[in-house]
Amino acid sequence: MIPQEVQYREWMLASLHGDAAKYRALLAELTRHLRGYYARRLGADAAEDAVQETLIAIHTKRATYDPSRPFTAWVYGIARYKLVDVYRRERRGQMVPLEAAGELFANDHAEEAGVKRDVRKLLARLPAAKRRLVEAVKLEGESIADTAKRTGLSEVSVKVAVHRAVKAMGDSLRDSNADG
Amino acid sequence: MRTDELIDHLSGVLEPVPTAPVLRILALGLGIGAILSALIMTATIGIRPDLMDAMGGSAFWLKFTYTIVVAALGLVIVDRLARPDSDIGRYLFLLAVPVLVMAAMAVMQMLPADAVTRDALIMGHSARVCSILIAGLGLPLFIGLFWSLRQLAPTRLTEAGAAAGLLAGSAAASIYAFHCTESTPTFIAIWYTAGIALTTALGAGLGRWLLRW
Repeated sequence: MIPQEVQYREWMLASLHGDAAKYRALLAELTRHLRGYYARRLGADAAEDAVQETLIAIHTKRATYDPSRPFTAWVYGIARYKLVDVYRRERRGQMVPLEAAGELFANDHAEEAGVKRDVRKLLARLPAAKRRLVEAVKLEGESIADTAKRTGLSEVSVKVAVHRAVKAMGDSLRDSNADG
Repeated sequence: MRTDELIDHLSGVLEPVPTAPVLRILALGLGIGAILSALIMTATIGIRPDLMDAMGGSAFWLKFTYTIVVAALGLVIVDRLARPDSDIGRYLFLLAVPVLVMAAMAVMQMLPADAVTRDALIMGHSARVCSILIAGLGLPLFIGLFWSLRQLAPTRLTEAGAAAGLLAGSAAASIYAFHCTESTPTFIAIWYTAGIALTTALGAGLGRWLLRW
């Protein structure tokens, strides 16, 4: 069984009874999965349209969910149908293999983990002082003012240092992509 | 619209869903179609005059049981295919049971018969119109069921269309049984099944065009 099944199914059942808060939480979670699923297949630009279309389909067709069956399989059925629909409109004539529903729910955690690992790698290349500033401001969400106070630097210096460090990380990412 | 705005909007307009919504929507299309079909039959070819007598015998009930059992299985299959996570393998297997039983009864009737009797068994007195009339009476049911399916979420459109056609044809055959005076298993196995096959094929052909959403 897909790990999220129990949680999502519970939210869906509450949604079918009209619980808007749980419905919103469910849609937000599904959006995350759908974004990854479509981005891998359609590219980031086309993905957002497909995500929105699928959310609307989930909404208008929600009555077709049979509570005695897995919710994740139901969502996957809709997501896959919408993917086939995009291919058909673009006349790509592409066959969409029937994968397991896990395809929609499993990969994005691996992807997120991959992104985190990449960021850590890039950070490791920065000088220690700069790295700590980027970690504080960009990863931990500390404000520029607080960071300045804590480190004794001026706010402008913190801003400039973080900006340059992020730019350097971007440059080295582009270089390594160009190499690879 | 941004995606988070869309989520806000959708959760803002959320309304509770009644219980067994799919069956409700299917029952509406099926029910209206069946009433129309029955009215059309009564007004045109009519109900057999000896219906009361016929209902006392087994031939009528053989026909009616065959078509109703196929229709019931058809409804279960349509209900499954109306959902995006459809899975119908074992129901197709079940569907083969009444068809094979009927075919076996026909074979048992045909085997001991001579050539002339076989012809009479196969052709009855209405072989030329039976299947066409069943398919024709199936049209209101067909339209009703496609209307229902368009509000649901079939993802295998050809199969869903075929299943709707199967249900329309078998329900129409159950109505037609009140007109038809044929009584042999051979005739029913051939021409009733052929009528149901006609609407099934029509549904399979139209599914991918009419059931898109």
